[in-house]
Amino acid sequence: MAGERRLRILARLAGETTPGTETRRLCEVCADVTAMSGAGIMLMSGDVPRGSVCTTNKVSDVIEQLQFGLGEGPCVDAYHQDRPVLEPDLDEPSTPRWPAFAGPAVEAGVRAIFGFPLHVGAVRLGALNLYRDRPGPLSDDQHADALVMADVAAQALLLLQAEAPPGELAAELESGADFHFAVHQASGMVAAQLDVSVGEALIRLRAHAFGNDRALAGVSEDVVARRLRFDDRSG
Amino acid sequence: MPREALLARTFVELADTLVDDFDVVELLTRLADRCVELFDIATAGIMLVAPDSDLRVMASSSEAMRVLELFELQAHEGPCLDCHRSGRPVLNQDLAAMNGRWPRFAARALAAGFHSVHALPLRLRGTVIGALNLFQLDPGEMRQADVDAAQALADVATIAILSHRASLEAQTLNEQLNTALNSRIIIEQAKGVIAERAGLNMEQSFSVLRGYARTHNLRLQAVAHDVIDGSLAPAALDRPPPARPS
Repeated sequence: MAGERRLRILARLAGETTPGTETRRLCEVCADVTAMSGAGIMLMSGDVPRGSVCTTNKVSDVIEQLQFGLGEGPCVDAYHQDRPVLEPDLDEPSTPRWPAFAGPAVEAGVRAIFGFPLHVGAVRLGALNLYRDRPGPLSDDQHADALVMADVAAQALLLLQAEAPPGELAAELESGADFHFAVHQASGMVAAQLDVSVGEALIRLRAHAFGNDRALAGVSEDVVARRLRFDDRSG
Repeated sequence: MPREALLARTFVELADTLVDDFDVVELLTRLADRCVELFDIATAGIMLVAPDSDLRVMASSSEAMRVLELFELQAHEGPCLDCHRSGRPVLNQDLAAMNGRWPRFAARALAAGFHSVHALPLRLRGTVIGALNLFQLDPGEMRQADVDAAQALADVATIAILSHRASLEAQTLNEQLNTALNSRIIIEQAKGVIAERAGLNMEQSFSVLRGYARTHNLRLQAVAHDVIDGSLAPAALDRPPPARPS
């Protein structure tokens, strides 16, 4: 069935969470869905503050600290190259890379590590990092799950930036799961109206949708049809 | 140009993936445009499968919202979804006689002026990576020779997408399709920037974006990036063609 991977992820996100633990849940689902030892989400864009969104355990924490401190590693590469960066055997890689990162990461217990970019079109937010305590590649299924997970995580980060009401993250992700051209066209238009980045425009669109209790797609259609502007020249 | 010559030229164009400005959205937009020129159809589009197995449109011969919405709907129902699931062509579907099949899609397609629809699979060996969607204004069947030619074009485009040298860097088919779909989002974002700054509609915005990429031998996605980050001002893009009556 269409969107089955996404629905499975959304169902796992939808369980009971206490306010303030939504990001923690997000990271746990990342590790869970892809059957990894741990996961972490790093923000690296100029649009939003750099830093860790969440990690599932001490090892994922070390992975993020090392990459922020050293400026190298799979997530740094995934972010800059805007593509998945896979290292199935960090201890004995076929092509050694990240000379400063690899040693301490292996020391901490990382054997395989995978970085996936978090992006929405040209909006680059950061990277998802997945690690496992034994070497080996991702299966095709795990790889596909990780790609969908990265997409859901990117949407979740935008929602959090738009100050989504606590506890409504999963519901908002589900209602916005369908692809709409208008959302992406509208984010370009709002970016031009406000002279901000497209990422910031996407956050403003989301915030407007919450504030007015409307669907993001409907707000976007109004922008594209020029019934709604964000620069105060209309209502 | 005689039809056979245009068909032959189209095959060569689709197969030429070694050019510096190769771009998957450009390739598939060209396929859609050529289908409209070659066959007795009004509009063509190409949908690809996302990693979550949803279908998403990559290219269309028309950027009008009423047409793009017909593709959006097919994530849930319609000829492309049926074609993707079965791996087989879905041909000669009379939209006025659907008897409740594809209720939302059929109603919207009829409202947009279409009466017959077809979907042909984009196949590589056993894997279906998407579908070529053809819309006719009149009810009626597509000639078998045209179906065969359209399927052959779809096959060449599939091979072109998957064999493009950039794909050598992609580690899985899913990653490659995911990258292609994200490049379409980049183009939508750039269309929005151009529409606002230059006061154009979305069709015109796409047209000037594509025109600039072609004139300057640049990848469509690279031009879209430059528009989004502000290094290429929409005013620097060429003037759009006059608006088409909708």
